[in-house]
Amino acid sequence: MHSLAVIVTTPPSSNLTATALHFIESALAQGINVVGVFFYQTGVLNANDYVAIASDEFQVIEKWRLLHAKYQLPLHLCYTAAQKNGLSEEKETNNIACYFTVSGLGELVELTSAADRVVQL
Amino acid sequence: MTQSTDINTKKQKLVAIVNSTAPFSSTNGRDALDLALIFGSYEQATSLFFQGDGVWQLTDKQDATLINSKDYLKTFAALEFYDIENIYACQHALTERGLIDSPFIINNVCVLTQQAFSDKLHLHHAIFRF
Amino acid sequence: MTLLHLVRKSAFETSDFEQCINTIASDDQVVLLDDGCYNLRHPLINKLTQVIAIKTHAQARGLDIQKNTLYISMEALIGLTFKHHSVITWQ
Repeated sequence: MHSLAVIVTTPPSSNLTATALHFIESALAQGINVVGVFFYQTGVLNANDYVAIASDEFQVIEKWRLLHAKYQLPLHLCYTAAQKNGLSEEKETNNIACYFTVSGLGELVELTSAADRVVQL
Repeated sequence: MTQSTDINTKKQKLVAIVNSTAPFSSTNGRDALDLALIFGSYEQATSLFFQGDGVWQLTDKQDATLINSKDYLKTFAALEFYDIENIYACQHALTERGLIDSPFIINNVCVLTQQAFSDKLHLHHAIFRF
Repeated sequence: MTLLHLVRKSAFETSDFEQCINTIASDDQVVLLDDGCYNLRHPLINKLTQVIAIKTHAQARGLDIQKNTLYISMEALIGLTFKHHSVITWQ
């Protein structure tokens, strides 16, 4: 079975992120082992619980939740990028959706060595 | 070299990090460098490529402090301590920008023709581009 | 060793597509997606021996179907990802 790691660097407001989701979903549907998605740069904003998307628009954030629920897809956030972009895991101010894991950049190294292919989107 | 090291070497992926943006207006350069240092600290074979406006990151005599920006370019000097010794710059990009005879911020930059640059990049198994 | 090139930027806006063209080797493949589809109307497109675009991404942008272009689905893109030894994204 092929394995794949994906690095997402675009925020939920960008249609590029919808493309990334479509790519990952297509891979999973084909039985590709997606070892993890790593969110870097403004990609970490995909984990922001406070992001509100109008109900008649594509629900990017909800889509990440669904993929995680359906495939147990690991969603890793770069800790430093998360901090720089106003995400917090402190108890009182936590705004990181629970299906994301706060990780270090080292996680991207692990995913890169674990996967047959790495795709940056 | 021991047997186990041999196996590790065989399995190891060559990682390329391609810089394509000028240093200050976006975080791309810093984010790419952070990535390079992490891969280096995990002892992954990592090469840095500079193409297009990315070559502006390599020029000497820049002063980020004049524009309230962090001088992350100084950190390029640390690359050798992480065993990142393969640093390639695209000759075409340097020529386009009048930089072909300018000194670089670090010593061990290898200037490659477009063909050689492409050949080198094709040797890598994982490619990140910022 | 061959590369799959994913082009996500319009050459009318940035030089990413030009850099991609300058980096391609003979057995590589190039796929236009997102705003990369606008390159179907850019003169640089003639430098490619084979033009591949994500169908819905081109259609969404009002770019009519052309005979010399291979339009593929996202599912097919996954296949191409594993056909080549590595993937580079021009974005």
